[in-house]
Amino acid sequence: MSISYKRVRAIFVKDYKEFSRNYALSIMLIFPIILALLFRRAGTTLPGASGFLFNSSFVLLTCFAQACLIAEEKERSTLRSLMMTPATTMDVLLGKSSLVFVMSAVVIAISSLLFGYEPVNVGAFVTGIVLSIILYTAAGTICGLFSKTLLEASLSILPVAFIFMGAPWGAVLAKDYPVFQVLDYMPSSQLVHLLSISGTGYTTADLTQPLLIILAWTVGLTIVSVVLYQKRLKDE
Amino acid sequence: MQFQPIYEDGELLLPLIELDLAAAPSTGIITDLKRKQLLMSQLENAEHYYVFRAGQNEYMRLTVEELITFLIRVTEKKEHAASLIGYFGLQEESRVRIMHLSASKRMYVTLLRVFFAHQRALVLEEPYFYLEEQERRQFKRILDDLSQHKQILILTSNLEDAMISCDVIYRLNGSGCHPLDIRDSEEDKQEMQKQDEANITLQKVSTKRQDKVILFDPPEIDFIESVEGSILVHVGGEHYDCALTLTQLEQRLLNFGFFRCHRSYIVNLQKIREIITWTKNSYSLRLNTGQDAVVPLSRSRLQELKVLLKL
Repeated sequence: MSISYKRVRAIFVKDYKEFSRNYALSIMLIFPIILALLFRRAGTTLPGASGFLFNSSFVLLTCFAQACLIAEEKERSTLRSLMMTPATTMDVLLGKSSLVFVMSAVVIAISSLLFGYEPVNVGAFVTGIVLSIILYTAAGTICGLFSKTLLEASLSILPVAFIFMGAPWGAVLAKDYPVFQVLDYMPSSQLVHLLSISGTGYTTADLTQPLLIILAWTVGLTIVSVVLYQKRLKDE
Repeated sequence: MQFQPIYEDGELLLPLIELDLAAAPSTGIITDLKRKQLLMSQLENAEHYYVFRAGQNEYMRLTVEELITFLIRVTEKKEHAASLIGYFGLQEESRVRIMHLSASKRMYVTLLRVFFAHQRALVLEEPYFYLEEQERRQFKRILDDLSQHKQILILTSNLEDAMISCDVIYRLNGSGCHPLDIRDSEEDKQEMQKQDEANITLQKVSTKRQDKVILFDPPEIDFIESVEGSILVHVGGEHYDCALTLTQLEQRLLNFGFFRCHRSYIVNLQKIREIITWTKNSYSLRLNTGQDAVVPLSRSRLQELKVLLKL
């Protein structure tokens, strides 16, 4: 499957204009920043605050934006028309995902600065965030594919919010209900582990283990989303 | 282009259709909604057809210029947005967002997607339905240009729409798919006998409706059309069946200012409001009746009409 930089850029620019002019969607860009300002008071002393901030930003911004971008195209059947042009599936997905990626990266950088989070290892922190953004973009793609309208898309991220944002909290109950130990392997729980490492007493294994688990999730969900995307568009 | 037959409850909905799109630059099929969808569903996965559906929508928040630029880039055409906007006749709207355009303009801009298609054949569902006259004319011009090197198939439920830009028209219904004869036959004129002028008697046109015989004075009649063999007399937006043939009616009504403007239409000259020129050889007549009635006008009869109207 060929990928043309020109077409990807055309889709990126088009989606940027559409997204930025749809205030109902672009207002979501402010949420992570507001959350960061709210939690700033509590400071880094509050356990899990940074994890909650990042995880909720991923769902509310990355996942939501991607789902809406795809669902809106489906709603107006412009996606079907786009499929009849030389633009390939990967062109469309890459164009949309790169826009969502850039927006998320910028907003999360701002909100982590405002929040005052200081990572013990910048490399590991950035890798974790980048992988998570890709992961949630893929989740957003899947949400968008299963919804026909914009309204459905904004509701379809609720299960994602529940599962991914709730996982770190669910893992706390693992002592009473052993079933919940599974939740500890969710990417969001692993991100919380990664973020909560502090001081100097950590080993490389402490850093790599969460990163590897997140990487596995990212690769898995990305493949699922691409396959689903091609399949569902053919069915329509 | 071939369509497979489709049966439903043992009834043949869609016969086996083989269309030779290369025979004419643009082909039209007049059919109902259900058959239109069946036809289009067979073109779904073909890479050779660009299918434009009536439900197609557009990126509402882009301006016209941004949309054209996007379409050029994504289809990798080697054109300039500014010159294309000029060609499309959208200079004034180029900075307007699509959501702020009038409904007809918005549809016209949406229809421009077919211009960028790389496929050999374009299939359009009801392209003219939502367009007003100015946009119709613009889009017809674009389709005519496109038909130079592409094959065009128009699916519509309206004869009038199909006639705007189709060279060959088929009617597809329960009785099958048959070509519609829209060429002007010259023999008709010879068949015409001289009007017996001395015999001026009562010339009411008798029609039937629900077993009642209704008589109309000729000046009441707006126009008469022939639809699949039956003659319909249109009066004030309603239509009534008539047992006479068009040729008989034409002879009867000649002295009342009626004119055979088309092989299957006779129009009351008193009621013509406007002669619409789609292109230099495709015309319609608009009538000033209550409803907005438009009647096709054959190219060969235009001169005759101009003489009658002293134009």
